[in-house]
Amino acid sequence: MTFRQFAFNNVVRNKRLYAAYFLSSMFTVMVFFTFVIFAFHPELAGDDIHGSVQQGMYVAGGIIYVFSFFFVLYSMSSFLQSRKKEFGLLMMQGMSMRQIRSMVFLENMVIGLFATLGGIILGIVFAKGILLIAENVLVIDGALNFYFPLEAIGLSFISFIILFFFISLFVAYVLRSKKLIDLIKANKVSKGEPKANIFLSIIAVLLLGSGYAVALLVEGVTVIAVMIPVIVVVIIGSYLLFTQLSVYIIRKLKKKENIFWHKTNMILFSDLSFRMKDNARTFFMVAIISTVAFSAIGTLFGFQSYLTDGMKISNPNTFTYDAYDGDKAEDIALINQTLQDENIEANMEQMMLRYFQIGEDPSILIAKESDFNRFAALIGEDTIDIEDGQMTVVEFEGLPYGQTQELLTQAVELNTGVTLEPHPKEVIYSRALPAFDSYYVVSDKDYEALPHANDEWNFYAWQATDGEEHVLDAAEKLYAELPPYGITSGEYNVYQVNKAYGMILFVGLFIGVVFFVSAGSFLYFRLYADLDEDKQKFKSISKMGLTEKELKRVLNRQTAILFFAPIVVALIHGAVALTALSHMFYYNMFKQSVMVLGTFLSIQIIYFFFVRYFYTKQIKEVI
Amino acid sequence: MLNVKQVSKIYEGKIAYRALTDINLTIEDGEFVGIMGPSGSGKTTLLNMIATIDEPTTGEILINGKNANRLKNEELAKFRRRELGFVFQEFNLLHTLTVEENIVLPLTLDGKSVKEMKLKVGEIAERLGITQILKKRTYEISGGQAQRAAVARAMIHTPKLLLADEPTGNLDSKASKDVMGMLEQINQRDKATMMLVTHDPQAASYCNRVVFIRDGKFYSEIHRGDNRQAFFQKIIDTLSLLGGDANDFSSIRV
Repeated sequence: MTFRQFAFNNVVRNKRLYAAYFLSSMFTVMVFFTFVIFAFHPELAGDDIHGSVQQGMYVAGGIIYVFSFFFVLYSMSSFLQSRKKEFGLLMMQGMSMRQIRSMVFLENMVIGLFATLGGIILGIVFAKGILLIAENVLVIDGALNFYFPLEAIGLSFISFIILFFFISLFVAYVLRSKKLIDLIKANKVSKGEPKANIFLSIIAVLLLGSGYAVALLVEGVTVIAVMIPVIVVVIIGSYLLFTQLSVYIIRKLKKKENIFWHKTNMILFSDLSFRMKDNARTFFMVAIISTVAFSAIGTLFGFQSYLTDGMKISNPNTFTYDAYDGDKAEDIALINQTLQDENIEANMEQMMLRYFQIGEDPSILIAKESDFNRFAALIGEDTIDIEDGQMTVVEFEGLPYGQTQELLTQAVELNTGVTLEPHPKEVIYSRALPAFDSYYVVSDKDYEALPHANDEWNFYAWQATDGEEHVLDAAEKLYAELPPYGITSGEYNVYQVNKAYGMILFVGLFIGVVFFVSAGSFLYFRLYADLDEDKQKFKSISKMGLTEKELKRVLNRQTAILFFAPIVVALIHGAVALTALSHMFYYNMFKQSVMVLGTFLSIQIIYFFFVRYFYTKQIKEVI
Repeated sequence: MLNVKQVSKIYEGKIAYRALTDINLTIEDGEFVGIMGPSGSGKTTLLNMIATIDEPTTGEILINGKNANRLKNEELAKFRRRELGFVFQEFNLLHTLTVEENIVLPLTLDGKSVKEMKLKVGEIAERLGITQILKKRTYEISGGQAQRAAVARAMIHTPKLLLADEPTGNLDSKASKDVMGMLEQINQRDKATMMLVTHDPQAASYCNRVVFIRDGKFYSEIHRGDNRQAFFQKIIDTLSLLGGDANDFSSIRV
């Protein structure tokens, strides 16, 4: 058996031990590679907006690479940690440190090579999957076709071979100047219980509290101004939360014998406090990474809703047409013809929009009751009834921009000498007429007696009753034929925003998912690093008599704390960040935030059940 | 108290291996019995079966008239926790807990009140002379202290049967004597029933009776008179008859 054969057999016959490290490396390569596939996508290389998306992706790719480095390094050092005893044994047989290093170097390079190749192959499959999802979920113009990513393969391969080379060199550092006895006893040495500082614990609370308070209280552009300081404060606060406050709380709990000595709590808490040193770092990283993922996706999603919601609300009709000069009969005929060609059945209404000088404002819309009611009926809203001599203020429903308060205090003088005053308490909220500023509605008779209008034009609206699926086709034709600013289709506008925005949203989603998945795998490896120790522990406890139910309860809580402590913190961070964002835009993103955060939480819950099942199974095997 | 009837154990596998053949053993209430035999004779197999960790292939084991192997898993765990106490060669104390916490662990699992636990731990620690180290952590105490803490943990719920597997295997001779003397004292004062598996004739000489097994079969048994030294000599003699080396301290199987 030559030395190289020994190193090779050591890996091949010890698959399970290497599997975790190998899989985490492969996973990292896969994530990076998939990302690069998109960054180098020919579709993205073209025009300006996509070009800048690509720029952004290069930067993100760089960040992922640095991130990968630390992740692989972290997996490797915990992997080596678990093998110290083995190294001790080998040294006892006369292996020199130099030989051990070269063995680990060789192993690491072999694992790295296969992980890179495996990651690339898996990445191709993964990318195809993501593209399929993207095509179905998002509106992407011209679709991101699947292509054979030679460039991406080359880049990923070279980057990761370099990465593994440096990581392998790093082994020398991890195994530096270890005495044989330290190596052999490595798994018996107590890690020592981390200590908490009450002062730092209080600071953690203060930092988080003040960060949150500022983030939640400011509005408008100030949000941008306070963003960086708040982020820094919250990050430091989170770090202290996990390294100090949590340790402090656990220690306090341990002192309370009523709690600590209650059933299985002792087994749970004692380990928790011991592992907190390792856990804290992981928790912190996971919490921050997840927060970034939540905020990025929440922002993009919220921003898209912000844009499209506005359009949907302000365009209740299928089509509208503003005839600014003359009646444009030929345009109307064209629209009707197009609708007919596309098999769209629609009701049409027409009215003259008239704007009057009221007080200081030269263009206040006043509509007559019958016009209002026809348009209200068109979109299925309630009609109103206005007596002669009365006047009502209408505000556009869903858009709080109208100067309703001003209108309520004004009066309109008719040619007959009668003065109309709006009912001071009564405001109607409706989307019937295309006026985002609030307006008056008067009775048909009073309408005739209004003074001369400052401005007026014909307004047409169509409401499809059948053949809605062809609206986009019709709109496309009409937008091409008719002058801009005349024809409007809310649905088509939304479609166009989605189309332009789809790519950005996709990239954002992808980055978010990558970050979130990496956070999940961090937790997974953290858990498995303690597997052997747990096996040992539960083996001895079960000899004394631990029922399966109790075992499950302990494992359940242990895993739950690991999986949910950082995620809950991240969810709170994310919720605060999104609230601040909605304050910046004065736009309620509650629904979007709940959707994004809820989705992540449910993925995490599924992930939790999955991991818990396998972990419990592994522990039960040794009992 | 303990009734082992015609117990055999065969380990199935690529090569089936017969570890025990037709073992009969009865332990009366308050008895302190040692099991001796060379390495591979089946001592630990027997102990594991009595400890309900393993099941006999044929025959049955009754503890207080109850056949534990018929119990369901949940009940079995509770049975172990309430009726049996264990002392292991490698102590098996949890290093994340203090000595006191280790001792009360079986009681906490049973949901006893803190007051009761405190009372019991104080009492037993006093008797075993480990009151000083209760607040210490497992790596801060010596092997002898650790084993005494393990005995305290095994005894705190006053089990019907205390099982000890090579309790002196990891201890020096002074600590061995301390621990064995302590077990003997518990046996005499509390009338606790005990069973001990050991290689160590010195440790075995503290028992009332020593049963020898060889190659999975009953070989002989000897009773202790008043004199422990004489008993020790008898054990040595039997061991040499057994074919093992009198000074057999061969590698201990965990």
